[in-house]
Amino acid sequence: MKLVIGGYAQGKLDYVLEKISGGDMCARSKVVQEIGKNEQEVINTEEIVIVNHLHSWIRTRISEGGCPEEEIMLFLDKNPDCILISDEVGNGIVPLDAFEREYRERTGRILIELAKKAEEVERVICGIGHRIKERSF
Amino acid sequence: MMTVIIGGSGSGKSSFAEEYTQRISNNMQKYYLATMQVFGEDGRKKVERHRNMRNGKGFATIEQTVSIKDAIDRIKVPSESTILLECMSNLAANEMFWETGQKPEDDVVETVLSDINVLREKLAHLVVVTNNVFEDGIIYDESTMAYICALGRINRALTNMADEVVEVVVGIPIMIKKGN
Repeated sequence: MKLVIGGYAQGKLDYVLEKISGGDMCARSKVVQEIGKNEQEVINTEEIVIVNHLHSWIRTRISEGGCPEEEIMLFLDKNPDCILISDEVGNGIVPLDAFEREYRERTGRILIELAKKAEEVERVICGIGHRIKERSF
Repeated sequence: MMTVIIGGSGSGKSSFAEEYTQRISNNMQKYYLATMQVFGEDGRKKVERHRNMRNGKGFATIEQTVSIKDAIDRIKVPSESTILLECMSNLAANEMFWETGQKPEDDVVETVLSDINVLREKLAHLVVVTNNVFEDGIIYDESTMAYICALGRINRALTNMADEVVEVVVGIPIMIKKGN
């Protein structure tokens, strides 16, 4: 699994698609925005599965009372070679609203776990990616 | 020596800061300087989670929500001690927002930095954790904007003083200023 993170509108999906197909977009990939829907279709695909807007899916599952922490891990068991794309959402003033706080905390914690599992983590800014996994000092 | 560790909410900065402090302090005495004022269930949960995380790592806890220079009086041998201060965002808020009203941005910046200087000069190593609150693109009310500006100025001054600055992103440390 690969994890790609960055701010809003930084060109994360385009960056990923460009990297996969060398300019020929969507040639061998399939972009989904939800996990746990159309599971069968996702498992049988020969294409690389890209989950875009992962943070939005996490937000929806929290509001529906789901457990995105477990659901994403089950998804990864079935799709070990997928690419996950998520916004970074924790870099702001801590919100007064309890749901907003929970969303930011849980998204952050999920991304930490995903980054641990990922073979590669890239951070995209202005369309440019930096590989940040395995830097150590 | 001084280190600044910065990250957003849920970035894994605390967990990294503890590991880092353990690594650099060797057998020296380690203190955890807790600056958060605990309000409500959320706050209690956070304190609990952080306490569990620190368990067994050999930190003595000092709670000091304002005037952090006073923490030095509770340390036996400062020159052989390391402080992990968590978190600058709480400290700046505590120094700015009082029951009696809000202190001006300039005063807050000056107080915090002069206190930090006292600690830095007396300790073997000071590790400061601070928060990236600057990237949500929201224009808040005047008092919150004053807080954001104060914290921004404090962070810049801290990283200027620091030997090392590390940004933590999804639990991954990225060195953004490297010591000699």
